[in-house]
Amino acid sequence: MPGMNAVIEVDSVQTRFAAQAVHADVSFTIARGTLVGLIGASGSGKSVLLREMIGLQRPSAGRVRLLGTDMWSAPARELDAVRQRFGMMFQDGALFSSLTVAQNVAVPLREHTRLTPANIEALVGLRLLQAGLEPDAGTKMPSELSGGMRKRAAVARAIALEPEILFLDEPTSGLDPITARGFDRLVRSLVDNLGITVLLATHDLDTCSAWSTV
Amino acid sequence: MPDSPWFAIEADAMHVWLRLSGAWRLPRLAEIEADLATLTLPAIPTIDGRALAQIDSACALVLLRALQRAGVDVHAGALRWVGLSEVHSRIVEQVRGHLAQLAAPPAVPRHGGLAQLGRHAVALGALLHGHVNFLGATVAALGEVLLRPRRLRPRELTVQLEQTGLNAIPVVALVTLLIGVVIAYLLGLQAEKYGANIFVVDGVAIGATREFAPIIVAVIVAGRSGAAFTAQLGSMRLTEEIDAIRTLGLSPQQVLVVPRVLALMLALPLLVFVGDVMSLAGAMAIAGPMLDITPAAFMARLRDALDARHVFVGLVKAPVFALFIAVIGTRMGMTVGRDIRAVGEATTSTVVQSIVAVILLDAGFAVLLQELDL
Repeated sequence: MPGMNAVIEVDSVQTRFAAQAVHADVSFTIARGTLVGLIGASGSGKSVLLREMIGLQRPSAGRVRLLGTDMWSAPARELDAVRQRFGMMFQDGALFSSLTVAQNVAVPLREHTRLTPANIEALVGLRLLQAGLEPDAGTKMPSELSGGMRKRAAVARAIALEPEILFLDEPTSGLDPITARGFDRLVRSLVDNLGITVLLATHDLDTCSAWSTV
Repeated sequence: MPDSPWFAIEADAMHVWLRLSGAWRLPRLAEIEADLATLTLPAIPTIDGRALAQIDSACALVLLRALQRAGVDVHAGALRWVGLSEVHSRIVEQVRGHLAQLAAPPAVPRHGGLAQLGRHAVALGALLHGHVNFLGATVAALGEVLLRPRRLRPRELTVQLEQTGLNAIPVVALVTLLIGVVIAYLLGLQAEKYGANIFVVDGVAIGATREFAPIIVAVIVAGRSGAAFTAQLGSMRLTEEIDAIRTLGLSPQQVLVVPRVLALMLALPLLVFVGDVMSLAGAMAIAGPMLDITPAAFMARLRDALDARHVFVGLVKAPVFALFIAVIGTRMGMTVGRDIRAVGEATTSTVVQSIVAVILLDAGFAVLLQELDL
């Protein structure tokens, strides 16, 4: 479905580590407002592809465009701008361990907006609720959270700036089935209510079958 | 009411309309907020979203809060919204659902200085209590090894001896050599005034072997090995290796602590001896050019001036320092909190505690040996 609504365009991406080919020739486009799963066994290169798409790791060949910006040839200023328009949830949350959850969520808001502290505080509370956490979870340190809560906190940080695309790396790995299904519903509601395009990498087929578009 | 690019208020005899327009997006939120700050409404408005291009949840939150401030009940059904697209109304609806929970921000407890002081005192007490406990357990484990030498793990012990002893020789040698040079130089400046050049040898010999070498070497080892123990055991605790050791029916005290404590207690006296020799060598090196004391004269004077008991005192202190450094280092590692930041904090704390312990022990030794006339 190429056209103006394509927010993610991956064009014949190849990845090789030494002699080992990870991605032969990957191409796809993803339209706005959809929820797309990237399915594969552990070690099949899902995370690598995600990292290449968000500009953390350079593919051996091929091009990636997010929201019309080529992630590997655009000037730094354009990249900074596009980085504010997508959010990424890393596999283990990657919350900053020296900050409380609320401070973690506030980081992008403090850095990239000119909001007053009171507004930031209110917005952080909203993000935590949107991610399915109680507002008082914000005073905790990441190390005090359970695995599921840490992932929710990571989602709260990823959606802080109201991104157009949300990347989720293994959102349900390490979670029990009940917590994982709760997380699935959370992601679904983000897509439905906020109109975010979500791309997630997973090996959990239950996660996939919980959603219609895969 | 000033006009705003984002909303306008219209009123007729029957209704008040709040007409939203444009793109309500997070990057412009500060401006929207400023415009909404003075929002006053003559009556409960009907909100018209026909001209609204975009609204995101952050802006919806700001809008709803501004309406609340203006005295409007925003709860479902209380307010009429018209012309809002389905997507936009879902966003507004979701934010409204969360609004009640946001109303009461959690109170953060604040403590005064006195409470902080008390808290730290209690924490320090608990820390020392734990150290004493751990010291007892370690001594018991060492005793067990003495009774059943088969319990000793020679491989672990040799690895630790290499890391804490052998690998520390270059830095210990360099630092103590320089310390010897510095002491001889400073003493020499004073001694020269009285023509008492040769007594510099006495000063350096007694000072270095009895005090400087043990203290300096212990401080280096506290920074090198004490910190390493905490970091090693701390990361093992993070990866649940210590729990695994326990589950396999082994004692972490025997497997991890005893080899480290024993290795450090063996290595530190040897390192202090290296320090003794190197600081005297440093002094000898500068005594020639500065004070006209030839190496032969230095050695001859050294034989008279340096009583063996001074060297022994230095060497006897070393294993005690080592015991405390190793116990502090391993305990801080074994009890570290289960996050990565805690490992760094514990490592810093280990070095500080070890150095304080070494200085306190040395002061204790000084008083004790004075009383014993040694």
